[in-house]
Amino acid sequence: MPFDRIVVAVDGSEAGYNAFAKALELAQVTDATLLALAVEGPLPAYAATIGEIEEVKREKDEFFGVLADRVRTEAKAAGIGIEVEVRAGHAADVITRYATEVGADLIVLGHKGHFLRDHLLGSTADRVSESAGCPVMIVR
Amino acid sequence: MSDLAVAAVLAGAILLASTVSVELGISVALIELFAGVVVANALNIDVPSWLAFIGSFAGVLLTFLAGAEVDVPQLRREWKASLSIGSVSFGAPFVVVGLLAYYGLGWNHRQAEIAGIALSTTSLAVVYAVLVESGLNQALVGKRLMSATFITDLCTVIALSVLFITPTIWIVPFVLVSIALIVVLPKVAPWFFGRYGNRVIEPEIKLVFAALFLLMWLGGRANSQAVLPAFVLGLTMSGHYAQHRLEQQRMRVVAFAFLTPFFFLKGGMSVSAGALWANLGILALLFVGKMVPKLGGVYPLARRFTAPHAAFTTLLMSTGLTFGTISALYGLNAGIIDRTQFSLLIAVVVLSAIVPTAIAQRFFQPHADHELRRDRGPAPEPALEGEVA
Repeated sequence: MPFDRIVVAVDGSEAGYNAFAKALELAQVTDATLLALAVEGPLPAYAATIGEIEEVKREKDEFFGVLADRVRTEAKAAGIGIEVEVRAGHAADVITRYATEVGADLIVLGHKGHFLRDHLLGSTADRVSESAGCPVMIVR
Repeated sequence: MSDLAVAAVLAGAILLASTVSVELGISVALIELFAGVVVANALNIDVPSWLAFIGSFAGVLLTFLAGAEVDVPQLRREWKASLSIGSVSFGAPFVVVGLLAYYGLGWNHRQAEIAGIALSTTSLAVVYAVLVESGLNQALVGKRLMSATFITDLCTVIALSVLFITPTIWIVPFVLVSIALIVVLPKVAPWFFGRYGNRVIEPEIKLVFAALFLLMWLGGRANSQAVLPAFVLGLTMSGHYAQHRLEQQRMRVVAFAFLTPFFFLKGGMSVSAGALWANLGILALLFVGKMVPKLGGVYPLARRFTAPHAAFTTLLMSTGLTFGTISALYGLNAGIIDRTQFSLLIAVVVLSAIVPTAIAQRFFQPHADHELRRDRGPAPEPALEGEVA
């Protein structure tokens, strides 16, 4: 099945890199446009100090800035043009909204298997696969 | 249990709270507060004197940090909206909760005043987190919300300082030293921080701590307290910290790693789970007593200053956490309110951090892009062909 626009979610985890590698392969094979989305997770809810929010935000900005550079470099090395977007919010919501905005026909994302959060809230991969308007590839 | 055993238990609770906070994405302060409730009620541990001391200092430091986080230029730009929304956000629940506690619950007037202050606060940090996460901190609605919250906080510290003052002669040196520090410290800071700062021994943090301890001591002797001068001192230092983020970051590391956990643990440990359970009706009444005047008082002003997002503004102005905890802890430490009253106030404060925030985010959160476009105004008409632009 050919794809025109592939959205790959990256978060710096091993599962995220596996997903990115698979998305690169797919983009090469199908000659699709690759769009990488890095989602800065939500800030601490119900914080007691602005300092807590500012420091977490600063750490996230630094981390995702480095991640975005790395994704661009690897895509360039593979000969694939890529657009990288960093957005804040709840991962599943942001991924599905972004995919709709850019008219993606495939979402690729990793599955981390986060024990505690998955049991409480369900995994990001589960929620994206339930709500996305296009096929979703989950890479383990 | 010995002091060291209690310290070991609390250190473990603080560590656990940090990890749970990261895993669940919930503020560490809220988890520490909850951990304090669990530790004290499950292990039957009273607040030791050393914890009370560190917690008191941490409360004053939190007040200083809140002042230091004020965006003063923004406050000046939006003074009209800020003053209107912020003062009503404090005044309406202060009066209603005070009257409710006094006439409805039979609390004495000082207890009713503590209830009024603790439940009239707005959480700057809760509001800020929602705005930053949504990108609305760049939009006019977000800027007005933040500025209004600063005013509510300022009203809180003024009320805490003025209503409970029974001055001694020490009020004179307390006021003079407060004014001197507020005037001199921002002027001395650039030189002092330049000469002695940026070292691992952190003289700049010690300078601020020494100033705060001095204010606490003099405030205690004057039968007053240090929150107002600490907040204003932070306010006057905010410009300095805005230009020296690394210094502010180091101060935060010291505060968050060691001091503020003890403040919130102390708050949680002073909560009686049994008293809460036995007074659920009063808890609900106080929660309604906070929310109704907040909603009724702020909404008409929000319709004027932050339309069309009056509901969002009103709900966020109804949140509370740090200053509510500081106010209730002051009442408990000063012997004004008892443990049951403290437990009820803290529970309402925590509920008010969660419930209005969740509703505002779920149902009323504006889209940041739309707001930023609206703030910029309508795009200029394209020039007609042949027309000089």
